[in-house]
Amino acid sequence: MDGAKVTPGRTAGLYVGAAVLRFAIFTLLPGLPDLLTGRVEISTPVTSFKRLQEGLFLYNHNVSPYDGGVYHQAPLLLPLFSLLPSFTSAPIFTYLLYIAVDLLSAGALWRIADSGEAGSSALFTSPRREKRWSGFVIAALFLFNPFTVATCLGRSTSVFTTCAILHAVAKAVSGAPFGAMVAISFASYLSLYPLLLLPPLVLLCYDRQRSERATKSAVKFAAICVSTVAGVLATLFQMSYLITGSWEFMPSTYGVQLTLSDLTPNVGLWWYFFIEMFDSFRSFFLAVFWLHLSSYVGGLTVRIRRQPLVALTLILGIFAIFKPYPSISDAALFQAMVPLYRHVVPLMRYTFVSTAVIMYATCLGPAFYYLWIYAGSGNANFFYAITLVWNLGQSLLVCDLLFAVLRDEWEVERPEMVGKEIRQI
Amino acid sequence: MPRLLASALRLRRDPRILKFPPYLSLLCILVGVAWLFLLPLDRYSRKTYISENALLPGQVHTYFGGSDQNVFRAYKHEVNELVGKSNTEINDKLEPIVKGLGLKTARQNFTYHAAGHDFSGENLYAILQAPRGDATEAIVLVAAWENVKHEINRNGIPLALTLLRYFKRWSLWSKDIILVLTPDSIAGPQAWVDAYHDAHDPSHVSSLPLKSGLLQGAIALDYAQEGRFERVHVVYDGVNGQLPNLDLINSIVNIAGGQMGINIALQEMWRHDSGYPDRLRTMLRGMLKQGLGLASGAHSSFIPYHVDAVTLQPFGQGWQDEMAMGRVVEGSFRSLNNLLEHLHQSFFFYLLMQTDRFVSIGTYLPSAMLVAANFTIMAIALWVKSGQPAAGATSPSSDKTKKLGTTTSPAAAERDLFLPLGVVALLQSLSIVPLYLFNHAPESALTPLFATFALLNTLLPPALSHLLTTLPTTPTTPHQYNLIKSFSLLLLGMFLSTLATLNFSLAMITGLLAAPLSFVQPYRSPAAKTAATVLLNALSPTAVLLAGVLYWGTTDVTGVLREAAVAWHVCGTYSPVVWGEEAVKEKTT
Repeated sequence: MDGAKVTPGRTAGLYVGAAVLRFAIFTLLPGLPDLLTGRVEISTPVTSFKRLQEGLFLYNHNVSPYDGGVYHQAPLLLPLFSLLPSFTSAPIFTYLLYIAVDLLSAGALWRIADSGEAGSSALFTSPRREKRWSGFVIAALFLFNPFTVATCLGRSTSVFTTCAILHAVAKAVSGAPFGAMVAISFASYLSLYPLLLLPPLVLLCYDRQRSERATKSAVKFAAICVSTVAGVLATLFQMSYLITGSWEFMPSTYGVQLTLSDLTPNVGLWWYFFIEMFDSFRSFFLAVFWLHLSSYVGGLTVRIRRQPLVALTLILGIFAIFKPYPSISDAALFQAMVPLYRHVVPLMRYTFVSTAVIMYATCLGPAFYYLWIYAGSGNANFFYAITLVWNLGQSLLVCDLLFAVLRDEWEVERPEMVGKEIRQI
Repeated sequence: MPRLLASALRLRRDPRILKFPPYLSLLCILVGVAWLFLLPLDRYSRKTYISENALLPGQVHTYFGGSDQNVFRAYKHEVNELVGKSNTEINDKLEPIVKGLGLKTARQNFTYHAAGHDFSGENLYAILQAPRGDATEAIVLVAAWENVKHEINRNGIPLALTLLRYFKRWSLWSKDIILVLTPDSIAGPQAWVDAYHDAHDPSHVSSLPLKSGLLQGAIALDYAQEGRFERVHVVYDGVNGQLPNLDLINSIVNIAGGQMGINIALQEMWRHDSGYPDRLRTMLRGMLKQGLGLASGAHSSFIPYHVDAVTLQPFGQGWQDEMAMGRVVEGSFRSLNNLLEHLHQSFFFYLLMQTDRFVSIGTYLPSAMLVAANFTIMAIALWVKSGQPAAGATSPSSDKTKKLGTTTSPAAAERDLFLPLGVVALLQSLSIVPLYLFNHAPESALTPLFATFALLNTLLPPALSHLLTTLPTTPTTPHQYNLIKSFSLLLLGMFLSTLATLNFSLAMITGLLAAPLSFVQPYRSPAAKTAATVLLNALSPTAVLLAGVLYWGTTDVTGVLREAAVAWHVCGTYSPVVWGEEAVKEKTT
């Protein structure tokens, strides 16, 4: 498996296999995608395909899509989906679009893997980097991950964000800062939170610049990057304004993410907390929660300065836990990046435990949701308890990966400590 | 504290710690089973009580009786005329009778296909609009033409009609009352409830032309016995092991026992002396029924829709007459009529030991969880074991480690995961095959199919292990066997603990049948090998099914399989899935 030769035939086989699997489920089990679309684990208020349909209907009838307070997604998705033939009459085009987006994400992931950035960045080269998986394996792990497949089948619009983030990273590692900035702007435009990935991404771009036209000054480079993002975002906002005819989309899309006005349950930690809260404390805790989420960015970027891709991966993992509206697609994105660190897996200590916890939570989550909503014999605490377990599993994975990466760095600094037992404080 | 941590860390590396898990998981199983047998004791079970104050069971006078007796006799005469006629003829006759009471009536057709048979029929139902209500809530009275044993409900149907005529005279109803007359006890009610909640497949089940409000409760009358009766049997198991709210059963026990002086029986315990053996028997029967998850009466289909429902079945030779039965129903309906909100106060997960004693989920769940935990413990132990160097090499290498200090990494040895993961995933997905075949085969093919499957089930595991040892280019290491076992036990533990939250009894039964899987290992001596093989085959799903059929002897293999297929298609029972899963587990050893 390690570094196996990849022929064009195998590449095509992987993509065709993944596409056929998705297409077969779409066509042979037509009930399943609709079932998945309704699941709270897949569709959050800001990514739901059903809500997109509602917005699209309003948009096509020349009503503001944000009337009625159901649609909370970016306005530019509407012209994209209204270009496709109607979902009710010809769903196949929507299926093909989603399958294509997944394949594009896998392609970007492949490029990230093949760049070798995970094992040796500009400032740090891991002594274990020889042991890694090829892009083929990593793309296959992404494409056949049940969470990725379920997200694709549930037609959650988070696949577009995932695709944009992966492309931003892929552009960054291949030395195309401008492309990376455009891609991250698209991701931020679609779902706001990827904007927090900007600091490590800028560092990654800075480290991987092509030598012939490199900008020496880091400050100058960062300023160029930030102004590129600002420019692209401004253009996107202007286009959205032209499409919807008002700035109403700002509070309905980003406002909802910032203020958590829709308390539909999801796999995250916010909804239950804010259901229980008295209104007078709401704004304070909103600020605290957002501050908490964004505080990781600075710390991780500085601490793991020598490996910006690690910082990006860990922040994606933290997003999957602490975002206001997380879904399993965020977990899938994080799990897509983790195999890049095949070389530090021997240093990880809780792989079995975290995998088992995540699997347990995956099984028990739907069962408890069923007991709460359908059987009526459970209550909201059941589901919230299992989301705690789910996030515990994910945070174990994040912590473990962080530990392994830091230990890898540490062993380079202090070769005499290789193989010694240490304790994490 | 740091010292404690350090000693804990040292303990973690101790090879002796790996000797514990098999004993620990055996302990888990033993405690789990012992726990179950403690439950009927007074200290662990609780007395039932009514937690929903609005029910006020037995607080009203019931007036059913007197001249209603004559009405009942007249209806019974009409119904007796209809015995042996077709479903449509029966409905043609009954519909004018119900219409004559001044109620709106409607009919519904349904057809189900299962095991190569068609189950079709026509439901007749009528709605009594509440004089004091606004049609937002309703209570259902179900009377099936045939009960689950295919006896004709000779007294139940006339009694239901009489009751409805009687209810019509009262002005105190605040909820609509719906009378549902179905041709059978399983498919008919299921079609009706599905259609009531718009969850039906319109190509097989037609929609209801007439509807009322949210269903608050349902009582099914199964009164096939002629003459006077002694006691009432309350059947409460729903599809997939779901149960109605305990308050409903308590109210009926209270009304029948306290007000009418009619004793209640549960789980076909016709005699119950309130002692330990009878309590245990009631509980175990309840668990078995819950584990099978089949519909046990006309009420079963209501429970998945969160409509609390029971079937009342008079039995025995006594001095209670039909009017007493009618008063029990009247009292129960008056209680349900009082409800201000859906029954939610009391328990949904319970095991009844006798009419007034039960254990709730908090008390009994640990036993199933312990059984499920034993698999997880073994899975973790095997995982740790598979990461350590082979058994013979441990002691010298650990000595060396002490001297050199740096040669071996503290992290576990690398594991080759590809083959174990592949094998486990393949075997798990194979379970779809029997599930599909058994549910789609026609009835005549079921027994041959069963024989083939039993044979395959016996032959596949040895074949597979032979394949694993000989075929691959790189020989499989003991570590890989450990990993295969670890993964399948992990999955088993995971599925069982999930199942335990949905259907405790099924998880418990499956867990106990699969318990030996934790302990089997590659044996050297042929005797031990044979013993293990025989034990595993004796506990395989096919063998258990066969044994069950022989033990109860009421039906043959085909009958059981047909019922399972019918349950799959009609009610959406999922217990067959579990059986398939279990079959797969066995092969991995």
